[in-house]
Amino acid sequence: MSTTRRTFLKSAVLTGASLLIGFDGTRRLLGEAVTSGPIRLSKWIRIDSTGTVTLTIQEAEMGQGVRTSLAMLLAEELEADWSRIVIVQASPGAPDFPNLGSTGGSDSMESGWKPLRSAGAAAREMLIAAAAARWQVARAECRAENGAIVHGKSGRRLPFGELVAEAAQLELPKDPPLKDPKDFRFIGHPTKRINALDIVTGAASYGIDTHVPGMLSASLERAPWPGAKLAKWDEKAALAVRGVRAVVSISNGIAVVADGNWPAQKGRALLAAEWTGGDQSFDSTKHRQTLETASRGRGVLLRKETPPVPPGPVVRTIEATYAYPFYAHAPLETMNCLADVRGDHCTIWAPTQSSGRLRKRVAAALGVAPENVEVNVTLMGGGFGRRLAVDYALEAAEISRAVRAPVQILWTRADDMQHGHFQAASSHRLSGGFDAQNALLSWRHTKAGSFHNLDGPPTEEKTKEENFHIYAAWGVYDVPYAIPSIETAYVPVDLPMKHGPWRAVFAPSSVFARECFFDELAGAVGADPLAYRLKMLEGVDIIKAGPTTIDRRRLRAVLELVQSKSDWGKPLGERQGRGVACNAYFGGTCIAYVVEVRVGPDGEVKVERVVAAVDCGLVVNPIGVEQQIEGAVLWGLSSALKGEITFAGGLAQQKSFADFSVARMKDSPKIEIHFLPNPGKTPLGMGEPPVPPIVPAIVNAIFAATGKRLRQLPIRAEELRV
Amino acid sequence: MSAIELSVNGKLQRVDCDGDTPLIWVLRDSLALRGTKYGCGVGVCGACTILEEGRAVRSCQIPAADAAGRKFITIEGLSRDADHPCQRAWIEEDVAQCGFCQPGMILTACSLLREHATPTDSEIDAVMSDSVCRCGTYPRIRKAIHRASAELRKAAK
Repeated sequence: MSTTRRTFLKSAVLTGASLLIGFDGTRRLLGEAVTSGPIRLSKWIRIDSTGTVTLTIQEAEMGQGVRTSLAMLLAEELEADWSRIVIVQASPGAPDFPNLGSTGGSDSMESGWKPLRSAGAAAREMLIAAAAARWQVARAECRAENGAIVHGKSGRRLPFGELVAEAAQLELPKDPPLKDPKDFRFIGHPTKRINALDIVTGAASYGIDTHVPGMLSASLERAPWPGAKLAKWDEKAALAVRGVRAVVSISNGIAVVADGNWPAQKGRALLAAEWTGGDQSFDSTKHRQTLETASRGRGVLLRKETPPVPPGPVVRTIEATYAYPFYAHAPLETMNCLADVRGDHCTIWAPTQSSGRLRKRVAAALGVAPENVEVNVTLMGGGFGRRLAVDYALEAAEISRAVRAPVQILWTRADDMQHGHFQAASSHRLSGGFDAQNALLSWRHTKAGSFHNLDGPPTEEKTKEENFHIYAAWGVYDVPYAIPSIETAYVPVDLPMKHGPWRAVFAPSSVFARECFFDELAGAVGADPLAYRLKMLEGVDIIKAGPTTIDRRRLRAVLELVQSKSDWGKPLGERQGRGVACNAYFGGTCIAYVVEVRVGPDGEVKVERVVAAVDCGLVVNPIGVEQQIEGAVLWGLSSALKGEITFAGGLAQQKSFADFSVARMKDSPKIEIHFLPNPGKTPLGMGEPPVPPIVPAIVNAIFAATGKRLRQLPIRAEELRV
Repeated sequence: MSAIELSVNGKLQRVDCDGDTPLIWVLRDSLALRGTKYGCGVGVCGACTILEEGRAVRSCQIPAADAAGRKFITIEGLSRDADHPCQRAWIEEDVAQCGFCQPGMILTACSLLREHATPTDSEIDAVMSDSVCRCGTYPRIRKAIHRASAELRKAAK
């Protein structure tokens, strides 16, 4: 956003030609007319005299469809003309957005639901009042319709644009009436992506597509393992490449800066950089052992429930250990950032999920005030949590400062694979105890894993915060089943490699272990896995686990729905099987999957059909929700059956989609999606929640097809060969 | 180092660059045709796919020296008003999520439909599996290809 709100304010005052409505940090509706002093907005809308409705949002678009769904919320109450809505990305540091949060955690719909509709309704009411005054008719006789105010009796019609000047003079209604859901024409109706035309014509501009005059390209040779120091390099060879302008050392490595990406990459290869020192000890196979040993320890207790009356003695205990590997995010657009450092000012163009943090970190790295850093957020070619880290922006800023020119750094795919902020490996030790009548009496789950270290490892003080350990163990402590004795724990294990949030953060590994082990327990008592889940979700309807509240009725409902839609129980052919898994994501969105697989004699697993039952609250955009499920199924399929990141000598071993394989078209199953008929009055998140339960459903289906219980991801064909 | 002449989107272009420059960087950096995306640089993801004589080729695998005298179409040149049946089908099936891989996917689909006017699912698998989408849009790409195929057949009648 290049024009600040103050500029708009001034122009509104000068021409009287815009209606502006924003929200402060507490989501209180603020009328422009009554605003004075510094305010903190999370979004604002502007309707100008041409009738264009501009919605400025802080949520960044990475494919989750947030621009479309937020615009739908506004359009619904405003009765806007969909084709006249323009989305503008907020910049941190503009007067209206001094601090911007991150886009992650699947909360955009929940947080936008009330304020955006209220703003739309307020604007609508003001426009109606302005029209009624102009026509000198009762406002009850007027209504908003597709970007205009209409007078029912006379059929007169005034487009929004012709009313904004008068509307802006009116007082902002404090509690504007919201529409009856039965009158919704956007919310709940399939709405196509707002920027689809740009995407199919190649006009959509991602970070990598940003261009400013005089811009140079950089490619950076980074320390290959933690603490490595540059020992030897051939600067002359790099400088001999036509188009190479400079070779510069920065804190993170040595960069070749050139007139284009090719000379930069070519020059970088010719540096033939050699590294010395540092810590080359990290090895993922050894780390797996460390984690497994740790998971047998006591750890930090997360949730302990003991029945008031001790049940009968446990006569049989089932135990298992599940192993979860490292993964890369590998969004299709690799990390990149354009930085233009001039004196003590810096302008950034970055595909980022975390523009506010990026601004602070760049300012700190350059030693300037955050106010001196302007961040422009571009479209992202996928995010998945990787772009919550800001390492690539720090690199761009340092290089730009060194060469005194605007510089765009572009990571190669190998850079992206080897210098990720990986999804961390973990180990899960589980046990279940039965009495003589096969009643499940006890559940134990200890996860050994690692805290994020995007901004370095957590301070000791931080680790003492309430729920700190619990947040690293989503899906562990919140086991939803009714088991008399529950004990869950977390063991933190140091990890020198950078690791951070990945789609669904800490939950995928936990839910994989929990839902697979639950099947083992069902098998131990000869129960049907789906029926056993329903049985173990009986009892108290609403339970509290740590900071999470789970409504078991919602989990039961999605399980019953998926059972009825998936042919559960119907026989399948040889080496074919069905698996089930469910999860309540942080107590919110509930999803159950039934997966059908066919395992070839060569051990190749084909996921043939996935049936999903979803309760994500009120569905704002059915297409958006379906896309998130389709995406999560393929994401989970990749992590269950395709690539992992391994480390040897402190270095990630994978360099492209050739050795970190991901799901392709031929792997794509038939996906059927079913929504609960009455899911509630407000929306819940959908970006992350569909991810955790898909992997265990696949692994459970493989067990059903082959009788082989595999406890280590990703699953390899050789383990399943006939 | 030399001047290379090639045709892009029906226009003759003269580019001064080293002969080993991959075509993707000629398109993106020299000709400002940034709809062609960088995804891997080693020919395994398909994001940089463009058309040559209607056939999908990987622009990261063609050195500029080899591109001389050849004719290419990028996503920007596929149609005048975004009205190619594939583009229309992509919008109609709401295929894109982040959209980054989609120019390459669309052009790969154009090439597939040239070879197989009515592709079966396994023909779609065989051709489209060379391209990576990390958002998981494959089910919708499949539907969009079938839709575009039907539209092309209708137009041919």
